[in-house]
Amino acid sequence: MTPSGAIAFAAIVIGGAMWSADIRALAMLLALCIAFGVIETGWTVRRAFAWPAAIVAPLALFMAIVWIGIVARSPAEIAAGLPGSRTAALGYVTIVCMRLFLIALLLRLVTLRFSHLTPLQFIRALWAPLLLKKLLVLTLSWIDTILHAVDRSRTALVTAGVVAPRLALKNVANGWILVQTVWLSVITIAIGRARDKWPAENTLARLDEVLSVPPLSLRWRDGAWMAAAIVTLAAAFAAAALRAAIA
Amino acid sequence: MLTTPRLIAIALCAALNFSIGSIVYLIKLPVYLDSIGTILCALLLAGDRKAAFVCSFLSAFLSLIVSALLINPFIPWFVGTDIALALVSAFVTTHGAAIFRARPLQPGSFIVRVLLYGVVTGVTAAVVSAPVVAYLFGGVTGSGSALVVAVFLHAGQQLLSASLSSGLAIEPIDKSLQVLLAALLYRATPGEFLAMLAPGADQAKRNPSYGG
Repeated sequence: MTPSGAIAFAAIVIGGAMWSADIRALAMLLALCIAFGVIETGWTVRRAFAWPAAIVAPLALFMAIVWIGIVARSPAEIAAGLPGSRTAALGYVTIVCMRLFLIALLLRLVTLRFSHLTPLQFIRALWAPLLLKKLLVLTLSWIDTILHAVDRSRTALVTAGVVAPRLALKNVANGWILVQTVWLSVITIAIGRARDKWPAENTLARLDEVLSVPPLSLRWRDGAWMAAAIVTLAAAFAAAALRAAIA
Repeated sequence: MLTTPRLIAIALCAALNFSIGSIVYLIKLPVYLDSIGTILCALLLAGDRKAAFVCSFLSAFLSLIVSALLINPFIPWFVGTDIALALVSAFVTTHGAAIFRARPLQPGSFIVRVLLYGVVTGVTAAVVSAPVVAYLFGGVTGSGSALVVAVFLHAGQQLLSASLSSGLAIEPIDKSLQVLLAALLYRATPGEFLAMLAPGADQAKRNPSYGG
């Protein structure tokens, strides 16, 4: 499977999840995602569930407090001016949380599927404009630089006694000095790179050369997953329409 | 428009958005602070507003992609908010660029401008984000604003209007803080870096006789 194929598959599934407001349709998409995880990542799939669960759990808690505990009716009932019930509110919270979990799980699975690639290899293999790929690589590089600058500046300011290594009132007062130190450190590096280092090493031209190779073309596996996503969505919507017709 | 120093500034501001935004997200502060780089990018290019818009939107978009993959998978739905923030930053907030860099600092004008631009940015962000917050999150984004939404919903408001009311209560405060930090970082940026970003700086470098 190629990174572009995985992103296209994820886009189809997420688009479908956003469109469907039916718990069965979401369950079908979730089953497809799990199948994708098992087939594409093998046993690593076990590691994929913790991150989405950790992200969605606090949201689910807040939603349960607000919708089931305080409001005690669903948005549809509010819109219709009905007294409503906690069961309807529970159904609404379940759909929203399931949709959020599905989105987070799918992104995690795509990340895990390509965890053997370096960020540069992943970006290089994408179907995307050269400018966007170049900017993505530069952004990742700057994130590292900023994190290093935070470490260095913090150590220097702790040594100078301006900020404390632990929670302290003077950190609130002098926190701005740390932010300013980090920014000045990063800007100095940026000026040095743009003016001297990168032109001397021809860095940007070499980066262009690396990134301008033709991206990997889609494989049959990409097509198979995209087709599976479309078929699942069609089946889910058909089932929902049938249920509505019978009702 | 996209000269090498500007590409560097875009990536730098995207990295700033990501770094500060993810720290705030992970320690669950009741604010977002994930657009400081977007506002700062517009301020750095205040001399060319069209470039300021393009560059600040690109920095927001890049941080959105990186954040979605590493920290917060729901952030791409706020791409519309990023476009609106880039527009406001490039065409409104940049009007205060001279005051933000004035030496000595004029505290009165500085504070008034920060509050004014912060409120304008916050109201815009609240209006554009409300449909996403209502539909994707059921009005509850997991911060203190959830309780504000609960109060409005309990009072009988519709979900969209409750999300909008909650956004209008929280966003101007968050965005004023972001404009303040961006303005202070802009003030601390060396003039040498701003000169590299100025229109025509690349031609001047390539041809020393350019511009006299």
